[in-house]
Amino acid sequence: MGGDWQELAQAAVIGLLFAFLVAKLISTVIAFKEDNLRITRSPPTSPAAPTTPATSAPPQASLEGVRGDTSDDGSDSDWEGVESTELDEEFSAASAFVAASAASGTSVPEQAQLQLYGLYKIATEGPCTAPQPSALKLKARAKWNAWHKLGAMPTEEAMQKYITVVDELFPNWSMGSSTKKKDEDTTVSASSSKGPMGPVFSSLMYEEEDQGNDLELGDIHVSAREGAVDDITKHLVAGVQVNLRDSEGRTPLHWAVDRGHLNSVEILVNASADVNAQDNEGQTALHYAVLCEREDIAELLVKHHADLQIKDEDGNTVRDLCPSSWSFMNQAN
Amino acid sequence: MAAPNNNDAAGGASASGTTSEPAQEDTSIEALARRVQEHMTLASNPTARRHKFWETQPVGQFRDAADHSLADGAIEPPTPLSEVRADPYPLPAAFEWYTCDLDDDALLTDLYALLAHNYVEDDENMFRFNYSPAFLRWALRPPSFFRAWHIGVRAKESKKLVAFISGVPARIRARDDVVRMAEINFLCVHKKLRSKRLAPVLIREVTRRVHQENIWQAAYTAGVVLPTPITTCRYWHRSLNPKKLIDVGFSRLGPRMTMSRTVRLYKLPDAPLTPGFRQMELRDVAAVTRLLRAYLAKFVVAPDFDEMDVEHWLLPREDVVDSYLVESPETHEVTDFCSFYTLPSSVLNNANYATLKAAYSYYNVATKTPLQQLMNDALIVAKQKNYDVFNALDVMENESFLKELKFGPGDGQLHYYLYNYRIRNGIKPSELGLVLL
Repeated sequence: MGGDWQELAQAAVIGLLFAFLVAKLISTVIAFKEDNLRITRSPPTSPAAPTTPATSAPPQASLEGVRGDTSDDGSDSDWEGVESTELDEEFSAASAFVAASAASGTSVPEQAQLQLYGLYKIATEGPCTAPQPSALKLKARAKWNAWHKLGAMPTEEAMQKYITVVDELFPNWSMGSSTKKKDEDTTVSASSSKGPMGPVFSSLMYEEEDQGNDLELGDIHVSAREGAVDDITKHLVAGVQVNLRDSEGRTPLHWAVDRGHLNSVEILVNASADVNAQDNEGQTALHYAVLCEREDIAELLVKHHADLQIKDEDGNTVRDLCPSSWSFMNQAN
Repeated sequence: MAAPNNNDAAGGASASGTTSEPAQEDTSIEALARRVQEHMTLASNPTARRHKFWETQPVGQFRDAADHSLADGAIEPPTPLSEVRADPYPLPAAFEWYTCDLDDDALLTDLYALLAHNYVEDDENMFRFNYSPAFLRWALRPPSFFRAWHIGVRAKESKKLVAFISGVPARIRARDDVVRMAEINFLCVHKKLRSKRLAPVLIREVTRRVHQENIWQAAYTAGVVLPTPITTCRYWHRSLNPKKLIDVGFSRLGPRMTMSRTVRLYKLPDAPLTPGFRQMELRDVAAVTRLLRAYLAKFVVAPDFDEMDVEHWLLPREDVVDSYLVESPETHEVTDFCSFYTLPSSVLNNANYATLKAAYSYYNVATKTPLQQLMNDALIVAKQKNYDVFNALDVMENESFLKELKFGPGDGQLHYYLYNYRIRNGIKPSELGLVLL
């Protein structure tokens, strides 16, 4: 008699449990679908989507009901989607990264996992209102605790903390991600670069120059261009000609002047570089200094008796090209 | 209790490596992979991204692109004015709406400062637009402007201006249809308040105030892809002061190129070459209006300028807008016209330079002088006036002179949008005759 009763009760309990699991499964699948759509957009608030079928299981429905009531102006969707802040983007990128590394089996300390879990739930769903799982379900209980203990932490704070935890776990996580990570200080300002509306700041796209691709430079020209004083000295000591020409007829002095390296210019003229050497277009180092408006270098060259009368192939002397009245240009010669 | 973990795993770092649920762990990893993949696709393909705000708005939707039944024109009919919401949209508690009076010098200074410190920057945060106060007055007060469309948000306590959006009225023609529109611009939220999500409410509020004037369409630009651009333009840049542009990082000097050759490459004559090339004056307004109207009629979308508009938008104002024309020395007929506006940018974190002075090509009409020669003269006067760079979009017929006059392509794309007006297949940049500031 008693056995029958027990069996019946057991069957009823199992039946109920099964029904609950099925309902939960359905709700999860639905929630998962929504989540997918949500992840790249601002995750924090997604009020009950009208498409969610009414069959959605009770825990899900109640969660959304509560959130709808607590939001400050009841029209959260108004505030979404237009302004994808840097924080949103970075949070999305960070959570995608965590997902990817979890999938690839990267080990993360249990404590950090739970912390991330809690912050993620706050950031995407808000405060925990789900019922506490049975104490026997250790893992579920631990996760629930991690979420629940964060209370009513604001979404933005949760996202920021999530990113901080990911930063600590994987200092280089953002290197490969599509969201460019800026310095900590500029994360706020960075979102200004492309506002939701308005003009765009554009600068010149860098194009590999077509001219000069057949240019042949000696090592000493490169050193002069970079202003690498020690290397220039080494080349000279090793017996490299101080007036060595590149394929455009430029000497190391031309290159040092062009890039504005005063120290390198001094080394070269002191090593008896020819200050009046002309490149294939007839220009001297002083032509370069004048064109590039490098006054200190021009003055140095004039002191070393650079010739002001030399004309380039266009017939211009340095005075013809001189943009401003540099007094030393008039005193010399 | 297998199922819920599917949901959690992605961002929550679901405790992996637990032994009890091997089967579930697999599905969850599969789901993860799918989800990450989806995330990546969404991030890299802007048209696949969700735009919760814009999907609720009367704008061309991405999903409509293939729908041939949709006609060009207004997407929604006007609603009766009595149904336009009467009250401003609610702001977060600490803030209040504040209609800006640009006659007030103190307000203008505040607005200038808000924009100078918080408006658009380049991707690397090296430059920030620095619209001058005189420019703002010009841009925001064209003929029959509405003061109510100069919308500020202040902090209630400090009265500090923390956000702004504006509209100005314009007649814009789309194909054969001249439509009263609002040009929406200068949407700016203080950097410290970027997380407050003020931008959407600013957009709604300006829309509401535009509706109150019985205007139902708008034009605007953005650097980001929203539903749905009518066209996408590219900026081109002509170096006038190449050494400074290289020094501030606006352009780069290749390792095989010399500075001296670059300087010579961009050298310009000292004075304009076209006989009769001179600055536009008040007496030229009628002639310039005739030239412009005839020219802009060629384009699919263009402003419908009358003499009042031309006087406001194109009569020269120092360091705001410059206009030149060619008056035939024999007949004294005005045959050609070109113009540019002045938009400097702050150079951030550079020891030698604080400002980049840029000229932006505005409206140009050539009937007798070749357009390329006319624009070369525009470059020459811009160089004379100490501009560092001359920028132009590839709109109208600009493409015909960009390469020849040594403009280089920029890294910035500008998308043009119309609000509540559908142009189903979009247009080419060369079919656009509209320049927004």
